[in-house]
Amino acid sequence: MTGDFKADKIMFLIAAAVIVFVIAQSVFFIVKSWKRAKELGISESTLKSTVSSSALFTVAPAISILATVFVLANALGIVLPWIRLSVIGNLAYETTAAQTTLDYWGIALNKAVEDPQQFATITVAMTVGSIAPLILIPFLCKFLQKKVGFAMNKESEKDKAENDGDSSKKKTNLGDVISASAFIGIVSAFVAREINGRTVATTNRLDALGNSIVNADGTIEKVKNITGSAGVVSILVLICSMIFMTVLTIVCKKFKLSKLEPFIMPIAMFAAMGMAILFMNVLPESVSGLTWYEIGAEV
Amino acid sequence: MAKDKKYMSPREKDYFDKVHRWGITWTIGAILMLLSVPVLVCAKLGVLPDGAALKQVLPQLMTLYWLTAIAEVIAYVPMLGAGGTYLSFVTGNISNLKLPVGLNAMNSAKVKANTEEGEVIATIAIGVSAIVTTVIIAAGVVIFSLFVGPEVLQAPSIKPAFDYVLPALFGALAASYFEKYWKLVIVAVLVGVIVLIFSPAMGVGTLMFITIVAALAAGFGMYKLKWL
Repeated sequence: MTGDFKADKIMFLIAAAVIVFVIAQSVFFIVKSWKRAKELGISESTLKSTVSSSALFTVAPAISILATVFVLANALGIVLPWIRLSVIGNLAYETTAAQTTLDYWGIALNKAVEDPQQFATITVAMTVGSIAPLILIPFLCKFLQKKVGFAMNKESEKDKAENDGDSSKKKTNLGDVISASAFIGIVSAFVAREINGRTVATTNRLDALGNSIVNADGTIEKVKNITGSAGVVSILVLICSMIFMTVLTIVCKKFKLSKLEPFIMPIAMFAAMGMAILFMNVLPESVSGLTWYEIGAEV
Repeated sequence: MAKDKKYMSPREKDYFDKVHRWGITWTIGAILMLLSVPVLVCAKLGVLPDGAALKQVLPQLMTLYWLTAIAEVIAYVPMLGAGGTYLSFVTGNISNLKLPVGLNAMNSAKVKANTEEGEVIATIAIGVSAIVTTVIIAAGVVIFSLFVGPEVLQAPSIKPAFDYVLPALFGALAASYFEKYWKLVIVAVLVGVIVLIFSPAMGVGTLMFITIVAALAAGFGMYKLKWL
C-alpha cells in the first residue's frame, strides 16, 4: 500500500461531510439567533455589521490555521489534518496526539506515515482524545452559564436598577467590573505571553539518519526545544496594534464614523500584521531577531 | 440598544433553554460524526487500529485532553454564552479565534455576555467565523495543494504577518478595554508577565486562570477603593 491512501476519495468525502456539518450547524444557530435578535429589537444594521466585522476579523487567523494544516500534512497527508483542524482541532492537540501515537512505534512526526494500520490508529487516538470537551459540554454548559455567567450579570442588573434613578451619573457598577475583569484576565494571559513567554515542544531525539533513538529500557529518547519566544518584534507588534486600535477608536468617535466602528479591530489587526512584515524586513537582523529565549535551544 | 429588564425573565429563560436543547442535539450529532471518521478510515483501509498501541497511548492522551477540556469549558462557557459555546467547541480554535471574535462583536454592539443580547450577537459572530474559517481552510487546501504549493504561505515577504497574528489580535483586543479599565489591564498583564518570568513556558490555559483571578481580585479591590 502506498501513501495514496491518505488522500483517498473516501477521505475527501469525509472532509466534505465534516464541512457540510460545520456549516449547517453554524447556519442553524445564526438563523435562530438572528430571529431572536429581531424580537429583542436589535437593529438590522448592528446584526449586519456583526457579520461583516466577524468575517473580516476571521480571515488572518484562519490563514494561520491553514498554514498549520500543511505542517501536519507531511506525516499524515493533507486530508486528515484538514478534517481535524476543521472540527475541534488545533495544532497543539493534533500534533501531540499524532506524536504520542507514533512514539509507540518509535517514528518521528517529520516522516510520512506509510502503514495503514498506524494511520488508522492515529486517527482513532486523535478523535478519542479531542472529543472530551464535546462530552463535557452537554453536562456543564447550562450549569456553568447559570451559576457563573448569570451571576455576573445579576450584579450588573442590580447595580443598573440602583443607578436608574440617576442615569446621568453613569457610575461604574460592580457587575460591569466583574464582567470586564474576566475578559481582561483572558486577554492579559495572551498579551503577557507576547511580552515574555516562550513555547516549548517535546519531540523524539533523532539519530543522524532521522530515526528516533530508542533507549536501552525500550523508551523513546525525548528532547525539549524552544519553538517560539517573545522578543522585540512581538512586543512592537503588540504596541502597534494597541496604538492603531486606540487611534481608530478616537477617529471614529471624533468624526462620528459609526459604520466603521465594527471594523476597527480587524483593521488594527491587519495594520499590525503589516507592521510585522515591515519590522522583519527593515530592522537590522540583530534587532528583529532578538528574542528573550533562543529558538531551537534545548531546555 | 436593548431595553433594561430584570435578570432572566421567563421568556429569556425559555430562549436559553431552547438554545441548550439545540446545542445538545448538535453536539451529539458532532460526536457521532467525529466517531465515524476513524470507523470509515478503518473500514476503507481494511485494518483495525493497533489495540496494544491504543491501550498505551489513550490513557496518556485522555488524561491530558480531559483535564485541559475541563479547564477550557470552565473558562470559556461564561464568556461565549450558550450558542457560542456549542458552536465553538465543535469547530475548535477557541482561544485564538472564536473567543476574540465573540468578544469583539459584543464590544462593538455594546452588549454583555450572558444577556440575551450578548448571547445572540456572540452566536452570530462565532457562527460567521466558523463558516469563514471552514471555507478558507477548504479553499486553501485545494488551492495550495493543487495549484500553488503550501510554501507560498512560508514566503519571507508574508510569513512575519502570520507569525505575529496573535500579538496583532490580542493587542487590539486589550486596547479596547484600555480606555475604561487601563489600571485593571496593567495589573493583569503585569501578573501574567511576572508569572512567566518564573515559568516562561506555562501554557496559556493555566496562565489564563491566574490572570483571570488576578483581574477579578484587582477589579473588586479597585471598585471598593473607587479607583474605577
